Amino acid sequence: MKLTTLLAASIAFIPAVAMAEEKGKVEGIHHWVSESEVNALKVITDKLATKGYIWQDSAVGGLSGANALQALRTRLAAGNPPTTMQFLGYEGLDWAKEGVLRSLNDLYVKNGWDKALAPQLLAFVKSDDDYISLPINMHRQNWVWANKAVFDKAGLAEPKSWDELIAAGPKLKEAGVIPLAIGDEPWQILEVFEAILVDVNGPDFYEKAVIDLDEGALSSEQMVDAFDKLRQVRGLVDDGFTGRDWAVATGMVASGKAAMQVMGDWAKGEFLAKGMKPGVDFLCFPTPTATPNYKFVIDAFGVFKSDDPVVVAGQDAWAESIMDPEVQTNFNKIKGSIPARSDVPVDDFDDCAKRSFADREAAVAGGAMLGGLTEGFAAQPQFSGVYSDVVAKFFVTDMSSKDAVQSLVDGINNAR
Amino acid sequence: MRSTLSMRDRLTHWLPRLVLSPSLVAVFIGVYLFIAWTGWISLSSSKMVPKYDFVGLEQYIRLWATPRWETAVVNLFLFTVLFLAITIAIGLLIAILLDQRVRAEGFLRAVYLYPMALSFIVTGTAWKWILNPDLGVEKVVNDLGWSGFVFDWITRPDTAIYCVVIAAVWQSTGFAMAIFLAGLRGIDTSIIKAAQIEGAGLPRIYMSIIVPMLRPAFLSVIVLLSYISIKSFDLVLALTNAGPGNATEMPSTFMFSATFRRNQMGVGAASAMMMLMTVAAIIVPYLYSELRESRNEH
Repeated sequence: MKLTTLLAASIAFIPAVAMAEEKGKVEGIHHWVSESEVNALKVITDKLATKGYIWQDSAVGGLSGANALQALRTRLAAGNPPTTMQFLGYEGLDWAKEGVLRSLNDLYVKNGWDKALAPQLLAFVKSDDDYISLPINMHRQNWVWANKAVFDKAGLAEPKSWDELIAAGPKLKEAGVIPLAIGDEPWQILEVFEAILVDVNGPDFYEKAVIDLDEGALSSEQMVDAFDKLRQVRGLVDDGFTGRDWAVATGMVASGKAAMQVMGDWAKGEFLAKGMKPGVDFLCFPTPTATPNYKFVIDAFGVFKSDDPVVVAGQDAWAESIMDPEVQTNFNKIKGSIPARSDVPVDDFDDCAKRSFADREAAVAGGAMLGGLTEGFAAQPQFSGVYSDVVAKFFVTDMSSKDAVQSLVDGINNAR
Repeated sequence: MRSTLSMRDRLTHWLPRLVLSPSLVAVFIGVYLFIAWTGWISLSSSKMVPKYDFVGLEQYIRLWATPRWETAVVNLFLFTVLFLAITIAIGLLIAILLDQRVRAEGFLRAVYLYPMALSFIVTGTAWKWILNPDLGVEKVVNDLGWSGFVFDWITRPDTAIYCVVIAAVWQSTGFAMAIFLAGLRGIDTSIIKAAQIEGAGLPRIYMSIIVPMLRPAFLSVIVLLSYISIKSFDLVLALTNAGPGNATEMPSTFMFSATFRRNQMGVGAASAMMMLMTVAAIIVPYLYSELRESRNEH
């Protein structure tokens, strides 16, 4: 099914290219290989084709982009960079510091894109004074996905705090439902932990402990509390959680075998693909907190320096295609995220996405817009790696919260 | 006449060298040059991209201060010892039993050897499901009525590494069996008959005569299985993905994630050098003793 759709998509793409007046090629490395991702990317490349440029796809799937980065390293070392490359987290900034990315200031100023983006995003698309990447979407990471039928049957409503969420556990277990679906992969556990970290201790604490890696905050009592909460969350999980993929966990919520999952809004596609409707068959609400916050994850494309005017013109067309409001709308409807541009109308989106829009506006105004740690938007990978090591070990063993905090502090210092 | 002969002489003298030189160059660049390069990187402050400065043993200190690396080293030794011991024991036992001229030996041999034809990815994925308490052995036994049965090793960080051993043993036992069986077939049956005439029982014959005669087979099995255990990357990734937590981390998985996912190329290179030294510590004495023996034979 998936393969045939892919083939159909690629065949459907050929005539459009053939008809367009060919001005040049735009070659891009990215790690979007799943069905919805490929279809979403096609929205951008179709737009590119109307501008007369052929998209040359160099997808390198696997390992959340680690394979793609390896491919880029080889290409750069050989002096043959692609036209454009998809970046997650700090990757774009790191390459900008290596001096290989083209500054996009002229395009940003000409089109006023800087005003269309939330100021917190600029930390990832701007290196010193130069705009270096083009964000296409924004995923929200701190969501809880719940099965509505299970919630109704157990008489549960959207929890207002982690204590409430944890207290729902025994009720759900009595009804024969696993309260929380999760896998033992470190990143899945870290998603939950970082949500607790900011929900319980507030955005300021998150900024100190995760973004600034302040040793005082890292070794504080609040950090111990967060681990204590995670220990309680461990009690909501079944024994078969080892080796469980995130999408399998989402499937458990969809089928009613489990009640909730903490996951970014890429999980929404799994529900929609099963024909389920938000608010009717499944619920989406932010991780419970007294201090509302918005954890973002963006996908952005950077373009590489080139002396060839044809390549540069192709890059301009590529940039304009990505930042086109209509492209951003259509792309994100398929991908499950919301547009990176804050000035795109929300009417066409589903309820979860509308809530995401509203919460983003509030978070931008209230200073509670935060990068997701797990996906590399809060700390460099050597530090987020320490977080995921410690949190994963804590979750699967009976390590004490104090020991966990100690190994967190030691690990961060060792990686500095 | 004289000159053509010397041409031919020269040709026979130079031809082997000429033919061997491209592969020598390829091996030199592809193996030794990159070992040296990795060694250099391990002494530099490289993070995302290689950086050619010198910081001494800083990356090694960092490496040994990383708890995950300690887990990886402990796991490697646990895994190697158990994997080798169990695979050799079971492989030898099956080989001895098959050597008793049983019926349908060819069929049985194929059955035991077949797992070798699978890739570690397949083995890992299949065993992931077999060992999962909600899907595999535990559920089957529970459904049969023995509800108290618990077999959840793969979910527990202190026992998960044994699950990797189980899967690796399952895959490699047939291979050990095949080599031992070949060794057993090479033993002259008159020796066994002579021992029987002397009044030795079958267990005694095997323990004192036949197993010691299998020494070359043991050496091949040990060296080849050691390789498998040190490069056990795909099996771990497929079976446990180094989890639960990081409980089944191996040096190879550690090296990959440090170098390619965490911007710690220096630490990754240091861990690669540690792996190289571990392998060298085992292989160099072995090669030395083997080469000396073959020289004595000449």
